[in-house]
Amino acid sequence: MVSSVANARARLMAGTQGRILNATLILLIGIALVILATRVTTLSPAYFVQVVVYGLANGSIFALIALGYTMVYGIVELINFAHGDVFTLGGFISLWLLPIFGVTEGGTVTGFGLMVPLLAILVLSMVACAAVNVTIERVAYRPLRRAPRLTPLITAVGMSFVLEGIMFLWRGPFNLHYPNVLPPVSIELGGAGGPAITFKDVAVIAIAVVLMIALSLFVERTKLGKAMRATAQDRDAAELMGIDINRTIAATFFIGALLAGAGGMIFGLYFNTITFDQGFTAGLVAFTAAVFGGIGNIQGAALGGLVIGMIQELSDGYFDPAWTQVLIFAILVLVLVFRPTGILGMRVPEK
Amino acid sequence: MQKRWLSMASVLMAAAMIASACGGGGTGAATTAPAATSAAATTAAAVGEVIIASDLPTSGAEASGGLPTQQGAAFAVSQLKTYKGITISFLPFDDTVNGVHDPQKGAQNVQQMVSNPKVIGMVGPYNSNVARAEIPIANQAALAMISPSNTNECLTQLFPYCDPKPAALRPTGKNNYFRVAAPDTVQGPAMADYITKTLKLTKVAVFSDNETFGKGVADNFVKRFQANGGTITNRSDFDWKTTNDFKPFINAAKTAGAQAIYAGATDGTKGCIVRSQMQGILDVPFTGPDGIQTDQCLKDAGSNTANMFATVAAADASQNPDAASIIAAYKQVYPKPTDIAAYTFAGYDCASILLDALKRAIDANGGKVPTRQQVVDAVQATNALKLTTGTYSFDANGDPKSATMAFYATKGTPAAWVFQSQFGVGQ
Repeated sequence: MVSSVANARARLMAGTQGRILNATLILLIGIALVILATRVTTLSPAYFVQVVVYGLANGSIFALIALGYTMVYGIVELINFAHGDVFTLGGFISLWLLPIFGVTEGGTVTGFGLMVPLLAILVLSMVACAAVNVTIERVAYRPLRRAPRLTPLITAVGMSFVLEGIMFLWRGPFNLHYPNVLPPVSIELGGAGGPAITFKDVAVIAIAVVLMIALSLFVERTKLGKAMRATAQDRDAAELMGIDINRTIAATFFIGALLAGAGGMIFGLYFNTITFDQGFTAGLVAFTAAVFGGIGNIQGAALGGLVIGMIQELSDGYFDPAWTQVLIFAILVLVLVFRPTGILGMRVPEK
Repeated sequence: MQKRWLSMASVLMAAAMIASACGGGGTGAATTAPAATSAAATTAAAVGEVIIASDLPTSGAEASGGLPTQQGAAFAVSQLKTYKGITISFLPFDDTVNGVHDPQKGAQNVQQMVSNPKVIGMVGPYNSNVARAEIPIANQAALAMISPSNTNECLTQLFPYCDPKPAALRPTGKNNYFRVAAPDTVQGPAMADYITKTLKLTKVAVFSDNETFGKGVADNFVKRFQANGGTITNRSDFDWKTTNDFKPFINAAKTAGAQAIYAGATDGTKGCIVRSQMQGILDVPFTGPDGIQTDQCLKDAGSNTANMFATVAAADASQNPDAASIIAAYKQVYPKPTDIAAYTFAGYDCASILLDALKRAIDANGGKVPTRQQVVDAVQATNALKLTTGTYSFDANGDPKSATMAFYATKGTPAAWVFQSQFGVGQ
């Protein structure tokens, strides 16, 4: 459905009306930037740098979630509503694994000696989430592959409730404290009292960047990546060429969930809180990020995640945080109206 | 093959729906069912039967405060059981949905109470926004409500900024709502004075969860703190359901030189996540209202639990020597340390006030079950009733004529809330 709207819009863009829409969009962005600039100048530049650092870290997490949305949409044109909950599951599994690996807040193992167990937990959580997501694909989406578009969408919502229900029963409904275990090391830019870049910020951004580079290498360079691109372009033709479609789609869900699982754990480490239903909002925001960058477009999702994460922190930091969600979903509406193909353009086959 | 997978998927979906329904209000139904049946079983023999209900958040994040309060009320009712042949039983409701107090759920609960003719009064609710949804429903049925912990001033008193106004909550024009807690016009300013006079700090950053209670108490804090000559460095009202990152706020506070943080929030609205995220950025006292004086809050704060201060809008019952025997008897029935929270004995007192009013109403009605309006009138007529957390009489708005404000601070490892001081407030 999105793509048919997009096609109509794309044709429209070519005409005068398209130019008017583009001009309006640029004007709106301009106004937003001017308002932001006037607010930024009222507070210290150090604070601005600090908020930007938070925005990068926050955006990295959204980028990791958005990648899963965009990959799945690119290949099966399904908005996987359960994806946000797979992300939450990553947080829950890692929270469960932390004490098993002897990592506790204020525990005996501290400093950089923590890195080995933390990395092990990260990998295990990622793989567990990936296994769950592949199972979901197998039981809930694959049987419906030839069904009308709405059917798997409804199952996706159902799977989202299943996962939320499981986490609710597992750990209860309240905010869970996620141990603050990363070393409290920080570099203060421009001397003491300046904006601080903590180990936490660096770790979050680094993990996200490494995973995103690995993903793009995988999709560009490997045989399976090539198969994914082929399947996304034309599933039937790819099948005729001897590509195992089921395996390729399963691999897409696997990789998307690896990233979401990593996102879930670093979310916990970064914000020190997880809730069983956080995936709902986080998923919607990440979906907005994917649409912003152009759904189906991997670079677009990464960029969209960073931009949305940055907007969220700037809005929280400089304006009334009560309006942040309104702002983000207003952006979703604006993007769909003015640039339905997203900032970097959609990578969805024309049909 | 296709069909089998389809049915499996639908089974899973059904499971999800059941699970989410449990999240909704299942706990409330589960706890209320046995009480209701046992009550029904005893009716046959008795002259009459009345029920004192409660509506509190007894599952989820706020259970650490709500459940002990319910136990306090249940304990008070269990002390009486019958009066002049009329059986008195207790019927608890839970207003939690997905782990947090929910005004709609509370309204549904009150609707159920109203439709049960045996219910003659209720203890609760715990949260001010729940009260806002419940008062109009209870009011139309003249059901006496008495809250141990509602503190929003607009529930009872008219101020220009009140929306809705107290009269709008009472469609019949008669009051049916009472409370034993001091309102936020006292609670917010109390912490402001504590920071100015006891902690001797002048610059505070304030945030709220943007709810009826949180925003109200933060507003009242700000007014008094500024009147004391203090400065509010920065203020944020968060959409707590979607906000996870409080660091921009904490950094703005740090940049502006805040010496303390005031949290207009509760443990259920991520109030104490802020404390956890302050670690390594801003090491100043963390202060707040009764909503953060809980064990759940200390869990949320992680290892950053030192230097936290909270007000509680009820007296600490353990400071009252006359209450010692009641506390001891309560501990016999509920022995765990977590069975006593800030409002346990306020809950006990609320139920006791209802019971006292009920007894007078039964007497006045010639030993027969009184009407709900008679019970409301009897509660209004409560005269200097000496209970565990104070001596209670009510003004025309339903506020206590005198209330107590207590201060708590975190002490020790692992940290626990420790009573500091308390003072009486006449109104």
